[in-house]
Amino acid sequence: MQDFVLAALKPRLTIFAEAWLAAGATGYGIWEDGRLLAQWPVGPSEPYDGRSAVTMPIHTNSATSLELCVTGTRDTAAQGRLKGEAALIADLIHLEGELDEMTTRLIETQDQLLALYDLTHAARSHLSMQDALNSLAWESSRLLRTDSAFAIVRMPDGAPIIAQQPVPYLSNAQAGALFHRVQAGQQDLLTSLSLENTDDAVASAQASLFIMPILVRSQVMAALGLLNKTGKPFTSPDMKLARAIAEQGGAQIENALLLQETLAQARVQTEMELAQRVQLRLLPQRLPRVPGLELAARSRPALQVGGDFYDFIGGAGRPLTFAVGDVSGKGMGAALVMSMMHTALHGISRLASLTPAAIAEQANEQLYDDFTEVGAFATMFVGQYDSAARLLNYANAGHSPVIYCPEGGAARLLGADGTPIGVLPISLCRDQCLQFRPGDLLIAATDGFSEAQNITGEMFGYERLLQLTESLVALSAPEVLNALFAAVETFSAGHPQDDDQTVVVLKGVSA
Amino acid sequence: MELRSRTVNTVTVLDLSGRFDAHTASNVAAALEKVASAAPAKVVINLGDVNFMDSTALATLVQGMKRCRQAGGDLCLCRLQPQVRIIFELTRLDKAFDIYPSEAEALT
Repeated sequence: MQDFVLAALKPRLTIFAEAWLAAGATGYGIWEDGRLLAQWPVGPSEPYDGRSAVTMPIHTNSATSLELCVTGTRDTAAQGRLKGEAALIADLIHLEGELDEMTTRLIETQDQLLALYDLTHAARSHLSMQDALNSLAWESSRLLRTDSAFAIVRMPDGAPIIAQQPVPYLSNAQAGALFHRVQAGQQDLLTSLSLENTDDAVASAQASLFIMPILVRSQVMAALGLLNKTGKPFTSPDMKLARAIAEQGGAQIENALLLQETLAQARVQTEMELAQRVQLRLLPQRLPRVPGLELAARSRPALQVGGDFYDFIGGAGRPLTFAVGDVSGKGMGAALVMSMMHTALHGISRLASLTPAAIAEQANEQLYDDFTEVGAFATMFVGQYDSAARLLNYANAGHSPVIYCPEGGAARLLGADGTPIGVLPISLCRDQCLQFRPGDLLIAATDGFSEAQNITGEMFGYERLLQLTESLVALSAPEVLNALFAAVETFSAGHPQDDDQTVVVLKGVSA
Repeated sequence: MELRSRTVNTVTVLDLSGRFDAHTASNVAAALEKVASAAPAKVVINLGDVNFMDSTALATLVQGMKRCRQAGGDLCLCRLQPQVRIIFELTRLDKAFDIYPSEAEALT
């Protein structure tokens, strides 16, 4: 009998013993397997006097035999009385046993609650899905006292992530197959498996497994599995706790997913902000003053930034030279290439006063190798205004839309003759020129205008742009600029801006 | 966008269909890189079912063309739809590529 049980019985036995002693008995004791556990009166133990003793067994579930013993009594009803006491003691022993069991379970449950708290706490510091799964598998194996546990998630892009802790017993293929089974069955799975890779001597044993599907965003995207390599079965309380852990794991997986998505978004956001900043810094801060011309220029980047550029090159004493262009591709890459173009153009203009075709040729020379390296090209329109002769010289390397509208005349596209910068090792651009008198209008824009879409997916297009230009020819350069943006905004209301919109407007004015 | 690859004699023919843009360009880029890295580095791109191309797609073709020519071969295009043809004319990329109306003509 355990000490604590005896200690609980003693007060009751003392009451019985004192009653017997008061009625004239000489001794009262409780014996186990022939050994005295306790006696009254307390003192050196009396030798067992079989003749005048009355004994009664105490019936319990234990393997030992317990009995009560009274010595020196003359009570004829002693047997009956002792029987009643023995029955009460037996009940007490039984109750003590139950109480002890319940206490143990309570402590275990407390432990488990603390463990779940640990699990949640540990999960908070994990940034990656792999870390979150490692932690889940580790804690599950520890809390449920299994040989190992595995956690598996199928990511939105289809790639599975597997964690096995503390030791991997399953191959990735086995883990994947088990995941598919619970995913298809949509319920818990109890099964056994021969382990392929174990260096234990128990290589031939079947491992027992309990796998639970985990709902992530209302779909079975993950699973938690427990493994006992010797085939030890899982108890019902274990499975209950395992399900609680699995559900908790589901919440952790959702958190890890959300974190990943937020980080990815932040990265894209940062990249775009950087790209936009690069572009804004490289655009001209001031419009040059040119006799005979009114200038206006603006660039409106899209959400998904591209590589539009416009620039005024050539310094004082030189004819106004401007360039408008569009780098292939989008995002940070395009913005960086645009900055290369910017540098090249400014370097070129510092050397000598070159014609537009020569500028395009130089730019192609300088940038062809680098553009080939990065797999980019850039369309470019270079214009140069000769104030004295009122001539506009230009070269067009693959760029559109550039629209010229003489006062009172029809608007027409100035088509490209050369390929974009970086496409061919030699430039095919030739200098062209047209008369640019007061009242004439030139709009050098990028395809963010012509390709602007409305809600039905229809594009603004070249026809509309030509008609629009004709309708604006009487306005000043800034007015034309505003009207252009307004028209495209109105047209594409409801549809997000897909591409940068850049335009340089030249209006001829009397000097 | 769908991409199918087949071989006619020693020339690789790539059949593209759908939207050829920034989202779908990387597959084409990979396929072209593969062709360019093995003799004879000759490829015909069939754009018969391509209804849209953006600048990333154009850049992919330009890059592929350069790589093939670098390796001693070439890249040419065939069966351009009208709206795609216009893009090549506006940018004057029709001067950079050999463009044919049919696959048969491209292969000769």
